[in-house]
Amino acid sequence: MAASSSAAAKPPWQELPREITAAILYKLGPFEILTTAVKVCTAWRSVCQDPSMWRRVDMRSTNGGWERPFKTEPMCRRAVDLSQGQLIDLSIEHFATDDLLLYISQRSSQLKRLQLINSLHMFRNSLIGAIKNFPLLEELHLEFTDVSRKTIETIGESCPLLKSFKLNTDWQKYTVSDAEALAISKSMHGLVHLQLISNRMTDKGLNAILEGCPNLESLDLRRCFKVRLWGNLRNLCSERIKDLKLPRDPIDDCRFGTHEVYNDDEYGTWDDDIYDDETSEDDVYDDESSDDFCGGCCCGDDDMDLVSDVALDDDDDSMEYSGDEYDDESEVSF
Amino acid sequence: MAAETGTPTTLTLKSNDDELFSVAESAAILSVTIRNMVEDGCAGGVIPLDNVDGKTLASVITYMNGISAIPADEEKKKSYRDKFLSDKDFETLADMVLAANYLNMSCLMDAVSAKIAQVMEKKSVGWVRRKFGIENDYTPEEEAAVKEEHKWTFEGVETDDDN
Repeated sequence: MAASSSAAAKPPWQELPREITAAILYKLGPFEILTTAVKVCTAWRSVCQDPSMWRRVDMRSTNGGWERPFKTEPMCRRAVDLSQGQLIDLSIEHFATDDLLLYISQRSSQLKRLQLINSLHMFRNSLIGAIKNFPLLEELHLEFTDVSRKTIETIGESCPLLKSFKLNTDWQKYTVSDAEALAISKSMHGLVHLQLISNRMTDKGLNAILEGCPNLESLDLRRCFKVRLWGNLRNLCSERIKDLKLPRDPIDDCRFGTHEVYNDDEYGTWDDDIYDDETSEDDVYDDESSDDFCGGCCCGDDDMDLVSDVALDDDDDSMEYSGDEYDDESEVSF
Repeated sequence: MAAETGTPTTLTLKSNDDELFSVAESAAILSVTIRNMVEDGCAGGVIPLDNVDGKTLASVITYMNGISAIPADEEKKKSYRDKFLSDKDFETLADMVLAANYLNMSCLMDAVSAKIAQVMEKKSVGWVRRKFGIENDYTPEEEAAVKEEHKWTFEGVETDDDN
């Protein structure tokens, strides 16, 4: 090779311009940076500890988080410390806890995007304390991360800039409740993108969302099998929403596609059996009958709607949620 | 800039070892460095690129031509980039990253950086030092401290810092 500054026998890795080293090491992801790169030499340590490396932190499994037995929570705390308050985008998978979220929230007031996946160690109200410290949040993506109706409302009230909200799960598929949809419609008026995969809402919840979120451009209702789009609702959705995904649209572009149980054929077997039996059309869609069911109890108008929906859940579901639904007043009235 | 219609403008690029290359302006301006020169009217004659050698520049031009021939389809562009880099050895990647940085080509920079990072994925500290020819300039005390500060494995799990 011809003699040139960049073609010495060995490239001078230790002496590369700092921005090039940073570009390369950033690609390693936070786990490898904190376990390997930082220990290689003092120049790399200096780059690894620069706050600019910690503005966008992706600690998902797909980014190396589950490869080795790391203590992921303290690593995340270190990432937050290193960001020196400049963290704007954080994704964590598997290890979110109440304490960790609070720690992050007290040090990351600039956060614009937060993604929590498989947060099995969080309680349904965990986000309430933390979310108030993220006033600039624009995107909140929750996957397999259960939150209460009250939490959703607090998110909406605390994050006026919120434009994108995802609440995706697969574990509530047998229950019917518009609680989440109503909470979204009530508090997240600025939403542009909304994804509610496998949500248990009905047409009533969808109607409320269309009313409460006038700026909505994309709406993903895949696997919301209780949404029937009866009457004029389908047209209304098509007119209002530029990018609309319907309950039975293919799901293989996201990780939910890995759950085989959801292929349409199998779904078809439980669809009619379960939810049509348990929730007749009248029960779900006729407000008056719902009110009758509520029997003039003490709850307010909004809550009454919620209660009437929850009342339609089958018995198994109330058992399933008895452990952590007590924070949702409306859902334990029974 | 090239006229909207008519013959495409061709630029002549010169490497730091005096090789000359002809390249369509529309492809060459993927480099912000070159684009700025063109916009400043400095591209009339030969554009000297003092930090890139002929071998690397030839490779970069192959990339410029390939990627600019793909219409706006990010998936296809990505797969072209992957394919383009798949047969590059470690030293070539090093030259490419310096060239991409100098030429200010963010898409190439991004892809080459990721490729180089991939080389050290899941490797030990010692392995990375050897592969990158990096001298351990920590004092023993500093090294012990940095290890202590970054102890993320559970008790009983072997660390691979030195292998």
